[in-house]
Amino acid sequence: MSRIKRISKELEECRQDVQSGVTLELNSESDLTNLTGYFKGPPGTPYQGGVFQVDIVIPKEYPFKPPQMKFATKIYHPNISSVTGAICLDILKDAWTPILTLKSSLISLQSLLQSPEPNNPQDAEVAKHYLANHKGFEETAAYWTKLYASDGDKFGSGAKNDAALYGIDESIVAQFENMGFPRDKIIEVLRRLGVKSYNGVSNKAELENKILEELLKECS
Amino acid sequence: MKVKIIDWHGVSSWHWNLVSDNQNESEYVDELCGICRVAFDGTCPNCLYPGDDCPIVLGAGCSHNFHLHCIYKWLEQNSSKGLCPMCRQVFTYKESYPIVTEELTNLQNLIQGHKSVRESGREVGQEADGFEDDGDLQMSA
Repeated sequence: MSRIKRISKELEECRQDVQSGVTLELNSESDLTNLTGYFKGPPGTPYQGGVFQVDIVIPKEYPFKPPQMKFATKIYHPNISSVTGAICLDILKDAWTPILTLKSSLISLQSLLQSPEPNNPQDAEVAKHYLANHKGFEETAAYWTKLYASDGDKFGSGAKNDAALYGIDESIVAQFENMGFPRDKIIEVLRRLGVKSYNGVSNKAELENKILEELLKECS
Repeated sequence: MKVKIIDWHGVSSWHWNLVSDNQNESEYVDELCGICRVAFDGTCPNCLYPGDDCPIVLGAGCSHNFHLHCIYKWLEQNSSKGLCPMCRQVFTYKESYPIVTEELTNLQNLIQGHKSVRESGREVGQEADGFEDDGDLQMSA
């Protein structure tokens, strides 16, 4: 059982290393193949201040095959699915080599947060947002970090801003709320149409009509 | 004072004669196999006895060394593409062994296998390059 020896060595090394800022924990003391990793969002990014949790499953062929990793913490990033947490990173796929470790993989994830690759996305919606409106993307990513990845108070009573969650400009929501449409329907329609803001929209009136039409259908 | 030796036990130690990266460093450093993370003087995780039963392989193209059984398992994976796990150069080893064992022959076969896969891939790649060149010529003309 070569992988068991190596995993326990890696765990021990990671426990002794306090500098890397990466933590590895066993999900159950009797099973060395199901782990959880934690690391902090890199400073200077919208993920700063967040602690991200990664589910790790170690395949039979480890270390000759990569560990399976996915984000357990919801995160808004072009290379990570905002729904499932699936990660698009070469070293976790075909660029894996056995000298890489669980620790080094988690550090690679940390640096993926630092430098997203929107042209090779896992989540096309998020990547589109990143490329079309970088500032808007950063705001949403920071909001998700605050909401899902902040240490402690994870399920705080603070009211979630549902518009910010999907990166939708609050002013659009307010515009249609003033017309008397319910907030949840507005957000549903805007999400369906993929509208986040009026920035870069060539024909605003036409888009407004389209949203109105959908809302009327939705609320009839 | 006279000492009479009644019985004695000989004890010897050994280690692989690896050249340290640092030439000035005369001190022997017991390095780890990058794949299994066990010292070279120890065994790979599947062996009981160190030494000739679990030999090490020295990289020839690069200077990276591994337990024979570890690098063999890696090169067995198609995903390895025959590359050194450390530096991703094509892995070849120094043929400095007095006896060629079956294990070494198998390793050599694996390396050859990856080489032929690479070469058949390269032919396809070259054809594609050729087309691109034509395109460039047309563009400039």
